[in-house]
Amino acid sequence: MANKNTRRNENLKGYAFMAPWILGFLAFTLFPFLATLYLSFSSVRATILGYEITWTGLENYHTAFLKNTEFVPALGEFLSMVLPNTFVILVVSFIIAYLLGRIKKGRGLFRTIYFLPVIIMSGPVMSQILSSSTAITGAQRPADVTQLFIYQIINNYSRPLASVFTGVFENISTILWFTGIPIVLFINALQKINPSMYEAARIDAANEWQILWKITLPQLKPVAQVAAIFTIVQLGISDHSTVYTLINTATGNLSGGLGYAATYAWVYSLLVMAVIGLAFLILRQPKGGGRTYEE
Amino acid sequence: MKNKQGIGNDARKAWGVLSKAAIYALLIVVSYLFLEPIVTIISKTFMNAQDIVDPAVQWLPRSVSLTNLEVASKVLRLPHSLLNSIGFSSLLAFCQVVVSALTGYAFSRYQFRFKNFWFMMLLLAFILPLPVLMIPRLMMFTTAQEAMKISLIGTPIPQVLMAVLGQGTYSTVLILIFTNFFNMIPRVLDEAAMIDGANSAQVFFHVTVRLSISTILVVFLLSFVWNWNETYVTATLVRSSIELLPHKLNAFDSQFDSLVSAQGGGFRLNEAYKMAATLIAILPLVVLYIFVQKKFIQGIENAGITGE
Repeated sequence: MANKNTRRNENLKGYAFMAPWILGFLAFTLFPFLATLYLSFSSVRATILGYEITWTGLENYHTAFLKNTEFVPALGEFLSMVLPNTFVILVVSFIIAYLLGRIKKGRGLFRTIYFLPVIIMSGPVMSQILSSSTAITGAQRPADVTQLFIYQIINNYSRPLASVFTGVFENISTILWFTGIPIVLFINALQKINPSMYEAARIDAANEWQILWKITLPQLKPVAQVAAIFTIVQLGISDHSTVYTLINTATGNLSGGLGYAATYAWVYSLLVMAVIGLAFLILRQPKGGGRTYEE
Repeated sequence: MKNKQGIGNDARKAWGVLSKAAIYALLIVVSYLFLEPIVTIISKTFMNAQDIVDPAVQWLPRSVSLTNLEVASKVLRLPHSLLNSIGFSSLLAFCQVVVSALTGYAFSRYQFRFKNFWFMMLLLAFILPLPVLMIPRLMMFTTAQEAMKISLIGTPIPQVLMAVLGQGTYSTVLILIFTNFFNMIPRVLDEAAMIDGANSAQVFFHVTVRLSISTILVVFLLSFVWNWNETYVTATLVRSSIELLPHKLNAFDSQFDSLVSAQGGGFRLNEAYKMAATLIAILPLVVLYIFVQKKFIQGIENAGITGE
């Protein structure tokens, strides 16, 4: 009886604290999410009396995939941007965090520099920087990657792969700007690894390279998962994503575009979630592996 | 024997110094890549129209000119838009702090039914791309505005409402920061207060909140910065009714043209004006960062302690 009472009490208090968030989630996240699904099958027209929504079935999808010449290439472009960029961002931020762990002097200063972009990065600032770098320094870029021998080899082998490479290299500064948060996450996780594990490995005559692959990296998987999700979410709503800008223009077109915009947005969010799911699966803990944190 | 050992030590020492030097060199190169866009902004800000197009001038302008800054601050409508941005971001940050603390407290302290489900929903709210939510949100607010005969679009009300109800910019991250921090506060303190007769609300306000002042500040700063930089939701719901610094920067080209034509021409838009405007737009955040950079990093560290 007493047990039942305390449980009811916990429910009541828990939900009392949760109430604002749950209300907001239902009204401003779950409902819009489902409404977009419905709208994606409709045509929406803004009239003086309000919105006129008529069910049109698969027409929007038909238009988006078969008639529109921009949408499908934009989806492909998004994938060829987000996959390599996430990979590069994770690897680079791990390397930076790992190196920062090996030095003492100047560590705080470097960390401050690497985190600065997180503070100032916004759509308008990014687009100003991107436009200025293409407008002026486009001709005098320090390292023109297309001149490299290795690039020529890749280009002969597969053109799309080569274009992915140039994409990564040409935007290296702006891609690096996304590493701020992953770096801090990795530094924090590296500090949490129990030093006695390293010692035990050294006693068993493991060298630094083996320790890195057998001890450090497996332990970083959970944090890499979080960092990957963070990165994909941020890339998904950045100006790097062509679909994102496409949806924005479609949303701005109030005369009849909202239904199409909903279709675009819905397909796009499925794609983003699929990419996140992929990252989640790749970086998941092997079954039976120790979990690092449990309430 | 002794000598040999000495040589070995020297070699090891030399190797250590060398690898340290390599690490520093690499980190400095990476720092250069990080700062290059910012250095470009700063150097172009002080260039005059000739320096900008002169290929011989790359970093250091021939003569330092402040006209770019003056022009840019006029186009950005400076004191006005800066104060608006500060007020707007602070308001939203305050709302987000309150709701995130409450939600984080629920996740940290209570075993309510469907807790795991709601936690999944919290993460889902983070990964859903904003465009998929914004179309119905916009329609909801315009419909409500028609129905209630008050103006919502163009005012901060929709975003304040969303922030108060925990659906603001990166709300999930802020909630996770609080949850993880509250998990570190010993429950013994709650229990002691309860024995003294405090109810849950009193425990929350008088024990937990008092111990979390530093985290509250961290969350406020992160939220402030993210709301400042957030332009998509604001552009959809507020549009240009409130002059905010990032939006002014976004519309810089057209603003510049209209201002010039109003004055009768004579000026031409160039890269230097744009870079000066960009510098003005990021400067308040950079100044803030210089003073409280530890807090920002601490906040992200707290968000990363994952249980999921």
